[in-house]
Amino acid sequence: MNATGIPLKEPAISAAAGDTEQFERALIDASTRVPVLIFYTSAVAWLILGTLLAGFVSFKLHTPDLLSDISFLTWGRVRPVHMNVMVYGWASMAGMGTAIWLMARLCRTVLRYPLLLVAGAGFWNLGVFLGVCGILLGDSTGYQWLEFPSYAAIILFVAYTLVASWAVLMFRFRRGEQIYITQWYLLAAFLWFPWLYAAGQLMLFVVPVQGVLQAAVGWWYANNLLFLWFGAIGLGTAYYMIPKVIGRPVYSYHLATIGFWSYALFSSWTGMQRLVDGPFPAWMVTASIAATILTLIPVATVGLNHHMTMQGYFPLMRYSPTLRFTVFGAMSYTVFSLVGVLISLRSVARYVNFTQASIAYSHLGLYAFFTMVIFGSMYYIVPRLIGREWRYGSLIKLHFWASAYGIGLMTLMLLAGGLTQGTGMENPSLAFSESVESVLPYLRGRSLSGILLTVSHFIFAYHFGLMLFGLGRKSTVPTFLNPVETEGAEVAH
Amino acid sequence: MKGLAPLFLGIFGTFAFSWVGLTVIPNWQIGHLNPQSDEEGTDIYPMPQSGMVTRGARVYAANGCNYCHSQQVRAEYSGADIERKWGDRRSAPRDYIFERPALLGKMRMGQDLANIGARAPKEEESPSPAGGPSSAPQAAAASPGTVASAKAASPPPATSPSPATAPATSPGAIASKPSTSPAPAGPPPSKSPAAAAAAAGSPAASPSPSALWPEQTAGLPPMYSAAWHHVHLYSPRSINLDSNMPSYRFLYETRRISDARSSDALQLIGSDAPPEGWEIVPTYDAKCLVAYMMALNQSHPLKDVRSPGASAASSPAASPSPAPGGQPAK
Repeated sequence: MNATGIPLKEPAISAAAGDTEQFERALIDASTRVPVLIFYTSAVAWLILGTLLAGFVSFKLHTPDLLSDISFLTWGRVRPVHMNVMVYGWASMAGMGTAIWLMARLCRTVLRYPLLLVAGAGFWNLGVFLGVCGILLGDSTGYQWLEFPSYAAIILFVAYTLVASWAVLMFRFRRGEQIYITQWYLLAAFLWFPWLYAAGQLMLFVVPVQGVLQAAVGWWYANNLLFLWFGAIGLGTAYYMIPKVIGRPVYSYHLATIGFWSYALFSSWTGMQRLVDGPFPAWMVTASIAATILTLIPVATVGLNHHMTMQGYFPLMRYSPTLRFTVFGAMSYTVFSLVGVLISLRSVARYVNFTQASIAYSHLGLYAFFTMVIFGSMYYIVPRLIGREWRYGSLIKLHFWASAYGIGLMTLMLLAGGLTQGTGMENPSLAFSESVESVLPYLRGRSLSGILLTVSHFIFAYHFGLMLFGLGRKSTVPTFLNPVETEGAEVAH
Repeated sequence: MKGLAPLFLGIFGTFAFSWVGLTVIPNWQIGHLNPQSDEEGTDIYPMPQSGMVTRGARVYAANGCNYCHSQQVRAEYSGADIERKWGDRRSAPRDYIFERPALLGKMRMGQDLANIGARAPKEEESPSPAGGPSSAPQAAAASPGTVASAKAASPPPATSPSPATAPATSPGAIASKPSTSPAPAGPPPSKSPAAAAAAAGSPAASPSPSALWPEQTAGLPPMYSAAWHHVHLYSPRSINLDSNMPSYRFLYETRRISDARSSDALQLIGSDAPPEGWEIVPTYDAKCLVAYMMALNQSHPLKDVRSPGASAASSPAASPSPAPGGQPAK
């Protein structure tokens, strides 16, 4: 059924020049300007730092003697710093920036209590900074994505509480009866994260559970962070941006409902498949493998919904940067889930469990899906905050292709390398060191993809910096990737 | 979607379901295990760890060792871990009850370390690597503490590599030349103590361990001893040219020898050796890290797990005998 009651009638109305609504939207955008730009600017700064660290980590993995004599530059410390900078510095801050803007827009009210957000961003930056220093000085806890020592974790949690309480407050001031799909995802993400983070911290560090359960809680946390925090924000953003840019309502509200609830139910049960064949009760792993397979339901419904919405409008990806990045991200969500199902099956996991393939999986989720969607949303939102358009369409194009080829190459290298490494490891007549050596060429290939991604991120940061200093184009027409022929312009606008 | 209540309830409900299902219920099921003991209340396993070991676990985590080394042995039907002799039985939850943090790991860019302490040469053997165990193969079968003896006690692995391929597939070892320093002139002086014992214990059935293990490098301490770990941490490629491990020199200090060479000083060879009059000694953190590794030992039989090595041992009395493999570092 085609939903007619979507509160997002803006494209149609703006075509009809509904002046009051447009004026209202401009007011809302202006009110989000300072907090959202603070989040975005911090995120881009962390992204650059995280990218440099990523290259360093990647090179060190096949050149182990590179700067290894300095304690805070040892591989085992720089790697968690890279991961945490990307997860908490870049992805979380950029995701929150987008989520804040979407919340204000969708609640159709000017942003209230901006100081809550400014303070939240400040504390969040402080928390990430302290955490990074802590890991470098040797205070890492050793649990993936929870490496930040407790003094940093507490500050992060305080910062988060400020942001989340703002989200709930905003929700109370919303206008209109309907709650749009994006708001379900955002509200859920804002409510899931504190529970998840608190549960992880409590069960690991405050009242630690016994033995192997620490590993189980750690992976439960990491996987749910990927799905319930980043995944939910990413999907919510895609549900806003795709219909918005092409000016057409979402294909089916019913499908969206099924997709949302099945996502909440099944993806939250994944996580233990990463511990396959480990010292755990078999039912935990089996339940998670089943849940991973069942995530194909939300993948199918969300994918179908986006596809049917886009039906006939795919050529617009030639012009709109937002659409191109967002659709790439939405498609990557499908790939990410399919790879997740594949590597969780016991017969495959036997070979790839302890290899680079699981790193490919994390990058698919966090980069190919989430980061690309967030890039798309930033290309949409930043001009509306600053009142200028992006300066160079060519730079956006370059950013897109470097990112797309970079992450594609990285995924292929890590998956193929992981499989090679795993088959070698499972063959006991080969020396173990051969399985490690067999993956090194792929790791060098991965370093190459890292160079591509570094180029792409520097281009983006430069472009973002231009916008920030008011050097964007003064224009009423958005920046397109390719010159728009007359007939294209009307639709893409 | 109409109405806020269903949305909020659903959001909380789905997450609560996952939280209870995947953390609370497992905690109720296996979260309060006790060490096992035999009828007399002796032979308790696992034992609480010393302060140095606990601190060593933190050094291990802080330097990210767990990003390349796992600490879990999969069952024989779900992986080649046991065939690779990373353990003689699969790991079980009870093995980890005193581990905090429990660093099971998810990556094997390096070997699995669940039993690295069990691979250490027994203390009395280390002075005379070649002589001790090889002279008494029966004794080796009765004490499954060392790798060599566990190997001898277990049935031949399902896919034992043929002796013909074995030498060709060991590129890791630097030196197969006759050793010079610590090994006395035993019959096969170039072999590691483990290899010698295994060869002596079951010459027909056992594959050449050199296919599976890096070999003893000449001039270095016995493999997997505490002194060996220090050399390996300080300079991994002096032991294995192809090693991918970064060196951890920041855990060691170079100092001038005051009156006599410290007993802790690293036995380095070649270009790693300090200049005359200087010595390289481990910091306290390095000592704790090695103590932690020496304590990683799951060779003790567990009632929870069928242990292929123990069940196939020659006599039932031999299997529950304690395996004192994880002796303290120093």
